[in-house]
Amino acid sequence: MGKAPNLWFKRFFCMWLPCLMLILIYYSLFAIHLSFCEEYKFDVSEIEKKPYHIGGYLEFYPILFGLDKTSALYKLNFYDRDKESTTEQYNGTLQLEASLEKGISKLYVKTYTNYLNSYQYETTKFKIFEGNLSVKPSSSWIFETGKKTMSWGKGYAWNPAAFLDRTKDPNDPELSREGFILASMDFTKSFAGGNLKTFSFTPVVIPAYSGVNDDFGEVGHLNFASKFYFLFHDTDIDFMLLTGGSRTTRYGIDLSKNILTNLEVHGECSLINGYKKTKVDSSGNTSQSTYNAFNYLVGLRYLSQKDTTFILEYYHNGTGYTPNEMRDYFSFIEKAYEIYNATGNPGMLNKATNFAQNIYGRANPGKNYLYLRILQKDPFDILYVTPAITMLANSDDKSFSLMPEIVYTGITNFEFRLRGGPIVGKSGSEYGEKQNDYRIDFRIRYYF
Amino acid sequence: MKKILIVLLMIFVAIPAYAIDAIQLLKEIDRNLNPESYELYRKLINIEPDGRKKEYVLFTAKKDKDKVAALFISPASDKGRSTLRLGDNMWLYIPNVGKPVRITSLQSVVGGIFNNSDIMQLDYSDEYDVEKFEDLKDQYLLYLKAKTKAVAYDRVNLWADKNTKTPVKIECQTEAGMLIKTLYFKEIKDFGDGIVRPSVIETDSPLYKGYKSIIIIAGIKKRTFSDEVFTLTFMPKMETLR
Repeated sequence: MGKAPNLWFKRFFCMWLPCLMLILIYYSLFAIHLSFCEEYKFDVSEIEKKPYHIGGYLEFYPILFGLDKTSALYKLNFYDRDKESTTEQYNGTLQLEASLEKGISKLYVKTYTNYLNSYQYETTKFKIFEGNLSVKPSSSWIFETGKKTMSWGKGYAWNPAAFLDRTKDPNDPELSREGFILASMDFTKSFAGGNLKTFSFTPVVIPAYSGVNDDFGEVGHLNFASKFYFLFHDTDIDFMLLTGGSRTTRYGIDLSKNILTNLEVHGECSLINGYKKTKVDSSGNTSQSTYNAFNYLVGLRYLSQKDTTFILEYYHNGTGYTPNEMRDYFSFIEKAYEIYNATGNPGMLNKATNFAQNIYGRANPGKNYLYLRILQKDPFDILYVTPAITMLANSDDKSFSLMPEIVYTGITNFEFRLRGGPIVGKSGSEYGEKQNDYRIDFRIRYYF
Repeated sequence: MKKILIVLLMIFVAIPAYAIDAIQLLKEIDRNLNPESYELYRKLINIEPDGRKKEYVLFTAKKDKDKVAALFISPASDKGRSTLRLGDNMWLYIPNVGKPVRITSLQSVVGGIFNNSDIMQLDYSDEYDVEKFEDLKDQYLLYLKAKTKAVAYDRVNLWADKNTKTPVKIECQTEAGMLIKTLYFKEIKDFGDGIVRPSVIETDSPLYKGYKSIIIIAGIKKRTFSDEVFTLTFMPKMETLR
């Protein structure tokens, strides 16, 4: 994006967005005040359907990071900067959704515009997250083509069988993500009586060529995927497959069931044929191994009598790194940092940055993880307030992040979220070597 | 001895006859509230003790005894959310998340006094047995007991108007008899197609002192849907039913 639009976005997100949010909050509170005197009414206009729709949200999201000056990733990212103890990041996001419906066809577009101002970058990103045409000749048949997010899998924080999706951020698993360009079909059949209630078949074609899904995998291939869904014995079961050449062939299964009225259990696993794993030793030498990687996740969602929800998941990442392999990488950064301090040459640190961006920097690069989220709805009978606490832990090296939060949704179309917490771990552990000791963030969203 | 046997025989014959009448009455109340398969537009209003309120508009589709789907039309923050109930199975679809997630009947998708089973209510006669029946002056009082543990309220006391055979008041209780909420049915309205029923339902709860919830029904009509509408694949496409 050019300099002028970037300046425009900077002005909008830094100056106008906070002002706009305050005006909207004031207006919403004023509207609430007016509504005290209103009779309860329900106009037909409220349910009238228009052939088009435009909506989305506007978000202001500042973050404060408390830096861990002794950690490997701090040394990697801050070696040539002033030694600060905190750093801020400002995000402004506009997500727009638009649709146009005519007969059995529907056009849908979701765009994402983000302004980010951090110690490293000041950038404005514009992306089309989704943009597709769907045709629904009957409720059994749906044809779709264009850019789409498939969202396969049953896990909440991780989805090892989501072969056609970009990786979820376990710190914010409900964020929308960019899709891929594909063509798909859904065939669904329901059955009366018997143990099999529903069957669905979803074949997908996903091209990967220069300029089209070139970040999906190796370019120059037409890939095929499919999902078979069964609602059998009140259990959701999916079988998934991806083959084609851009990524190695992989198979997946997931299931989900309410075993009690307040207890749901789910599981998901995948087998990736011929997975190529690159690792680096403490001297910076790389090696590659090829093996069949088995990933799995087991989880539950429990609702207590006091309206407390517990989400617990255990994830085994067959493509991940053992604590020793992670330690080797952190040792390499430490060595590179020592060389830089002694010689002023950042060459080794640049090499380590490259590993961080492409290999070790992905969300959860370790082998085994535990996720626990506890939410309390309407505590002390206060409506629209939801406090929660989330723990994300590497169960091999016992390092973790703990994130208490509070969400308020009492003003129509506004959502306020404040959260913050420590990132804890020994030296050489995944979370212990993260750049930050803690983070505090505040998010205001206005939906329209 | 003969007399005792005759009396016993009369009692055994009388009990099932009374039970059948009460069950029949409950079925009649169900049918007066909704056709078995229908589409419905309603508004849910949560009112806080200081008078502030939050409104949700929903479109609901129901088929047969055990298939219900609901779609949030407004506010913008909830637009496109849909819920599906297939017997005891329930799912929630949030557009940003992009996939249906299994939920429980007790969980609340809107906050406040309403829970999922209020939004995806099946017929009372399908979920409850009539335990006791009283013939009052202008009303019938039915004491209902849940058939399974999957139901949100274990016990329900239902007062129905004798003329219209529609509910006037419903008390929802726990298994131990603790009152969870009371529903008051008001403003009988002719929705056409032979559907004459209360159009406003007010709810209060001792668990949320000072809070009140109101459901206003704007329209209800008989409609037949295909079974495939009530599937996970269709949840993101619920809007196309309108």
